[in-house]
Amino acid sequence: MEPMRPLMIQIVTGVGAFLALLTVAIAINKALREMGEAFDRRRRTLLEPAVFEYLGATSSKPLLDYLPKSLSRRDRRLVEQILLEAARFTKGEARDRITAACEALLSVREAIRALRSRRWWKRADAAEKLGLMRSQTAVGPLVQLMGDEEPEARIRAARALGLIRGSTSIRPLVRALGDPSRWSAIRVAEILIHVGVEAVDELLAAFDTLPHSARISALDVLGRIRSLRSVGMLKHCLDDAHPDIRARAAHGLGLVGDSATAPDLIRALKDPEWPVRAMAAKALGRLGDPAAIGPLREAMKDRQWWVRANSGEALRHLGPEGCAALTDMLGSDDPYARHMAVAQLEEGRIIERYVADLTSNDPERHAAALRFIDKITAVARLNDRTRHAAAGTQEALRAALTNILKTPTTEGSR
Amino acid sequence: MTEPSAILIADSDPVLRRFVGALLSHNGYQAHEAPDAETAIRLATALKPRLVVLDLMLPGRDGFEVINSLKADAATARIPVMVLSVKDREEDVVKALNLGAEDYVGKPFSTQELLARIRKILARSG
Repeated sequence: MEPMRPLMIQIVTGVGAFLALLTVAIAINKALREMGEAFDRRRRTLLEPAVFEYLGATSSKPLLDYLPKSLSRRDRRLVEQILLEAARFTKGEARDRITAACEALLSVREAIRALRSRRWWKRADAAEKLGLMRSQTAVGPLVQLMGDEEPEARIRAARALGLIRGSTSIRPLVRALGDPSRWSAIRVAEILIHVGVEAVDELLAAFDTLPHSARISALDVLGRIRSLRSVGMLKHCLDDAHPDIRARAAHGLGLVGDSATAPDLIRALKDPEWPVRAMAAKALGRLGDPAAIGPLREAMKDRQWWVRANSGEALRHLGPEGCAALTDMLGSDDPYARHMAVAQLEEGRIIERYVADLTSNDPERHAAALRFIDKITAVARLNDRTRHAAAGTQEALRAALTNILKTPTTEGSR
Repeated sequence: MTEPSAILIADSDPVLRRFVGALLSHNGYQAHEAPDAETAIRLATALKPRLVVLDLMLPGRDGFEVINSLKADAATARIPVMVLSVKDREEDVVKALNLGAEDYVGKPFSTQELLARIRKILARSG
């Protein structure tokens, strides 16, 4: 044991010295960082008013004319930080000034260089900065980054291109919609929706070249952007061979809300595929064209529950005339239509309103409420059975139940 | 006491507060800042500014409650409120206007548009 003792002492002393040095290094590092932050805070109080004055000004003086003459590298970084913070809540002229200032400070050039970093998070961070800077010179390098091996770097590049806008930055985003193996279609679609009307022309131009799944996403994006420029394409898609495309097109037309497309959607209510009919009914509710009331009443007799539900909901959204049509449907000879009419009148709280009118002093309102409640009560007697009938998926079973329900004696005996 | 052109900016984002404050100062207004709802109500009562520029998402009570409080107090009821918020859903805009806000500007905003709207409100309120 004795010969081991000096070695043990050396090891313990060495470890102790290492830990002491490490503690000192950490303390120095912390002190330096805090000093740096305090220095930055002081510099920021000097630089920030100058940057804000530049952003709020209407003159063409460049940012450097507002800043102190001797600008260190650290100051430039602070100015860039202030500009990017202001980029979050400004638009218009102030936003354009931020781009011009970032170009003048060479921040754009530095960020483009950082896109080639070996560390993916640095590439992603640089892409995000370039999106906020919105410089057109960054479009090419960002398009390249969209081919990056790291998904996060790719999506940040896509987001940055969405922020920069302009046809050259939107085109690769539209292409990305068609490559689901490398891109999340939902995230790319969200970026394009955020771009807004500027994305419409590119989507329309590329539509026929896109694969099936991308065309569906593109129709969703066009609908949600709500530009009238896409109406022609959406109408055209109502005649597409694929029912998914026809259904999405109908949904998109409802989102755009051009009442001139009501005849096309009314025609789509007769589509052989039920998802198209259901989406057309929903869209007609959004359009608010009273001409749709008759066709929607007919659609409430559809053999598919979703079509009936959307048609009923659409009638409810068509105001008093639509609600009157729903009330009228209580007397329909179709049990499924009656069933749906009750459900929609309940959903729209119309039944509640009439029940409240039963205590009204106005004789006309009171009489109208009585007539309404009579109709509802008559349907409710049928409801227990029609509920089962309406929920049935087998055509034959439903037809049989329909025949039984048409027999008045079963109701009279209850 | 009312300063001739005092405007209160109530927003939880300090950079935005300073930015709007600087913008208003350069255009001849006296800007005051409030980081939360309680401070906004307290400063509005004490300073009687000519306008409150209000965010809807404030720490503590939200912007709608601030409008309610200001409009419920006779001392502050006549101070016009302009909402400056990232919340741009139709129901939020309608709710704020129904509660008594004079105007609604969404974020991100144009500085020139913001100033034009402020000038218009101040001209209207005399």
